[in-house]
Amino acid sequence: MENVKISGIQLFLLIIGFLFGSTSILTPVASAKNDAWLAVIIGGLGGACLVWMYVAIAVLNPSKTLVEILRNRFGKYLGNAIAILYIWYIVHFSALTFRNFGEFIVTVTYPETPMVVIIGIFAALLVYAVNSGIEVVSRSSELFVPLLFVIIIIISLSLITTHDFTAFLPLLENGIKPVLHAAFEFATFPLGEIFVFLMVFPHFNKKINNLKKIAAFSVIIFILLYLWSIFEYLFVLGKDLLYRANFVPHIIASLIPNSNLEPLIDIYLIIGGGVKISICIYAAAKALSQVFGISDYRKLVTAVTTFSVVLSVWVYENLLEMVEFAQKVWPYYSIPFQIVIPLILLLSSYRAKTD
Amino acid sequence: MINRKDKWFLSTAMLAVLCLAVLFLPGCWNNRDLTEINIVTALGIERSEDGKILVTIQVVEPAAIQSTASGKGKGGGAQPKPVFVLSYEGETVFDALRSMLSQVDKRLFLTTAQVLILGERLSKEGIVEVLDFFQRDHEVNYEMDVLIARDVTPAELLEIENDIDPIPAMYIKKTVENTVSRAKVKRTILIDLIKELSKSGRQPVLGQIAKAGKKVVRTEGTAAFKNGKLIGWLDPYATRGFLFATGKVKSTIVNIPADGGKISMEVIRSNGNVDVKLKNGKPVKLIVKVNLEANIGEYEGERKKVSPDYLHKLEKIFGEEIKKEIGRAINLAQKKYSSDIFGFGEQLHKFHPHYWKKVENNWDDVFSNLPAEIIVNAKIRRTGFIKNPIMKER
Repeated sequence: MENVKISGIQLFLLIIGFLFGSTSILTPVASAKNDAWLAVIIGGLGGACLVWMYVAIAVLNPSKTLVEILRNRFGKYLGNAIAILYIWYIVHFSALTFRNFGEFIVTVTYPETPMVVIIGIFAALLVYAVNSGIEVVSRSSELFVPLLFVIIIIISLSLITTHDFTAFLPLLENGIKPVLHAAFEFATFPLGEIFVFLMVFPHFNKKINNLKKIAAFSVIIFILLYLWSIFEYLFVLGKDLLYRANFVPHIIASLIPNSNLEPLIDIYLIIGGGVKISICIYAAAKALSQVFGISDYRKLVTAVTTFSVVLSVWVYENLLEMVEFAQKVWPYYSIPFQIVIPLILLLSSYRAKTD
Repeated sequence: MINRKDKWFLSTAMLAVLCLAVLFLPGCWNNRDLTEINIVTALGIERSEDGKILVTIQVVEPAAIQSTASGKGKGGGAQPKPVFVLSYEGETVFDALRSMLSQVDKRLFLTTAQVLILGERLSKEGIVEVLDFFQRDHEVNYEMDVLIARDVTPAELLEIENDIDPIPAMYIKKTVENTVSRAKVKRTILIDLIKELSKSGRQPVLGQIAKAGKKVVRTEGTAAFKNGKLIGWLDPYATRGFLFATGKVKSTIVNIPADGGKISMEVIRSNGNVDVKLKNGKPVKLIVKVNLEANIGEYEGERKKVSPDYLHKLEKIFGEEIKKEIGRAINLAQKKYSSDIFGFGEQLHKFHPHYWKKVENNWDDVFSNLPAEIIVNAKIRRTGFIKNPIMKER
């Protein structure tokens, strides 16, 4: 393992940036309409459990990456096979994030630019970042991610006069079912995606027990900020527009009176998406290098990124497919990767430890 | 260790990359300069008699604006017109806007549009369809004012050349904006209209604009809608009653008859809300509650001394006057239009969702037959610089 260390604050900001990655433009709980806030709370609790599970796995297997843990628990062959499935999942997932990014920019900012150009340029930048090492990614997140907080606060404060504070009523108009579905969505996107950090946690430079604190703190901060954002979306747009809009945060930003602050959302996305995709690419390349016994993951970064860019362009025919996929397929597709396998890992690691 | 030659090469390469970056970084694929676009300031939409959409645009010519500003008072010389107005008929709004380019030189830039005027015929047939484009397009400003033209087509309004402001659209926008100090027209921006159209239990209302002369417009009164279709008008006083009830009055002048003369009250603070009273799970009463504070702005009565007791008496008369206006608005909404513009239904929907489910489909009928209780709590606070009218010295 290369000797790279990430400090506590860097890890915290990486997790925050990662979680805000696509949620900065897509609203995973929008299908619950005016109960979206409830879905954030329920899904947040569920997602926090998932994150707790990943952290517990990391604590039980100190300084081991996901691939090493898988091999340890399932044996060499089965472990490698599952690791390859995971690599596919991570690459697919980074492709979807690329696509979200591209669709947003093409819809909102540069409508006539071919999407592949936008994704390609962004990808080139991220390849450079990841090739420079995870340390560089985390240092730049230290610089940029605090901007996210500033942007969220600027936008919500400048809209405070247009708030309709009763917009979240009536409670549970359509019953609890859509809320639970949205909560499930929220637990798997973005919270459950934290499993990718199992490839990053080994670089954490402090005592492994601090990991729990940092993960808990960042997840709580994220859920609170997101809850705040969802309330803001509801109060400003109302449930109908929240449900209908493709990119809610952009509409919100365009409503700020007498100023043109939409580019803030682009910045928001570039920071969040940048952190998210670079973590994914790093994780995929690193896992691939470990599975096939390649000494340096950097040799694989360009290949993984290129593959994921191509996949991102091919994966959907149109925007609505993307939205449908994120809402209807992604949560179920994620069950084995985010819930079942980690749960088995946790239980078997726990047994190994107590034995 | 990097030797000198390599270092030189590296720095040159970096410089070249930076220079190249300048070519790629600044801006978008479809970059358009100010000189390559037509700046649209206002849009008018009307339905033609054969069911097509007639879109009118008002485009401003930045160069001409400057020359009119500096050329004022000089007189003589043919001045270029600061704006031009053009109409085009198409199947849809977007179709008309694009097809219009056969008559306009440069691309139309919609983000700068300040006012959207909807025609009467269009509004009677429904406005929901034409608003779709304005939500979908990436260039539309969600904050433009939406108005309904009364007895006049949007094109006629946009053609008005006004002396106050060289850009008619800005002139119209300002006359709507100043409703904060008169409360005779409801100001609705596009995003609010979109939100209102989707609400169950509330019908949208839009400001009304009419032609008041060759060079001026008048924005007074309101258009009431029902299910996305224009159903009738509220006169300026009913409009104010409506605004009082929904808590949208910032300041206005209310005249009350007193002491054989008139007193103009300046409302300085006001909030209002609507509610529905339920009994045994059934609505029995509509309640409108308004609290407001006012100053005596002008006194034209015969009394020579204004005492605190007298102010309390005035408060009563003042309250009655406002009640009358609110009552007028409620009466129009209930009896004439049968359209819940106040959002009583929205209150039911939010706070009594179970009952609302039952009544949702025939709420308009239920609403029209409910008695209304209007509670106005008016306070007169100050009397301006003086206490009493002029008194002959004795």
